[in-house]
Amino acid sequence: MEQQLIPADNAFQTGALTKHTLYTKYSGMLLGYIAEVVNNNKLAEQYLVDLFTELNEPQIKQLTQPGVNTFIGLQQMARKKLAAFVATLADCKPDERPKTEPIKNSYIERMNAEQQFVFCGIHYHSKTIGTLAIELDKTEDRIKQILKESFTIIRSTRDTATVHK
Amino acid sequence: MIPQQFINSGILEAYVTGSASEQEVQELLYMKATYPEVDEALAELELDMELIAREMAVMPPPGTWGKISDRIDDLILRPSEEPVPYQARQQQKEQTYNNGSTQTGPQYIEVEGESSHMRIHKAWRWAFAAVFVLGKIFLGCAIYFYLENRQAQMQMQELKTELKQLKK
Repeated sequence: MEQQLIPADNAFQTGALTKHTLYTKYSGMLLGYIAEVVNNNKLAEQYLVDLFTELNEPQIKQLTQPGVNTFIGLQQMARKKLAAFVATLADCKPDERPKTEPIKNSYIERMNAEQQFVFCGIHYHSKTIGTLAIELDKTEDRIKQILKESFTIIRSTRDTATVHK
Repeated sequence: MIPQQFINSGILEAYVTGSASEQEVQELLYMKATYPEVDEALAELELDMELIAREMAVMPPPGTWGKISDRIDDLILRPSEEPVPYQARQQQKEQTYNNGSTQTGPQYIEVEGESSHMRIHKAWRWAFAAVFVLGKIFLGCAIYFYLENRQAQMQMQELKTELKQLKK
């Protein structure tokens, strides 16, 4: 019994160590993303705690594999966790929803209103391409193109910043 | 689909923002594995997403890792939930029933833990520390009063001896 428990505990501790490494590296970025979605710092912190507590060994192995972007993997996990929260917001009447302030980000600020609406709608408010197509009265392919344009702006901002450095 | 057409379709952007459909995800994974240019374009988009997140990063409050660590500790301390070899114990019980009065009587499941270890809450460490300190104080007092008492008795003995000598 004792012999069986020791490796399990060690596995947990190793997991906790790796978790701490991941936490040190990505918690700020994840908290910034979650806070933008839930618009409540306490709740965002709670989601962050849940995310890292529930992170298990196989998931950590998968996230830290070569060729895998660890942050994107963690962000996708956060997005899954936030899906229920976003769904409850969708059920609210428009005047009951928490008011969202315009997102302050130098990359997003360079986008035009339509690009911001599509990018932030998908990325921060988990809207589907179909929903946005209906809201903007455009085809889904057009929404994808607008999203692509948003990324072109992010890329150009990034390249400009790199050149100035 | 030609890789460049696929890259221009906007599916990669939909994927990194979590809005791609299941079919699109499958298609993307295939294209990613087949064409290095798709893999490269996806890696660039992921980097873009990371840059946005980096700019919007918020420093977690100082106690956040502590909360995570405490919850992980709770999980470690929780005893493993390996199935108890129920069959063996049932056989044991059947033997007991066979030896006893009836074979078709009610079958009980033993609920007492087999582990010889006990798990207690961290708050109890203060109680144990207090008991330890009080124990030391009582021991000190006991030694002190014992010595005092012995000295007093010796003085009484001396006084009695003196009194006897005076009476004589």
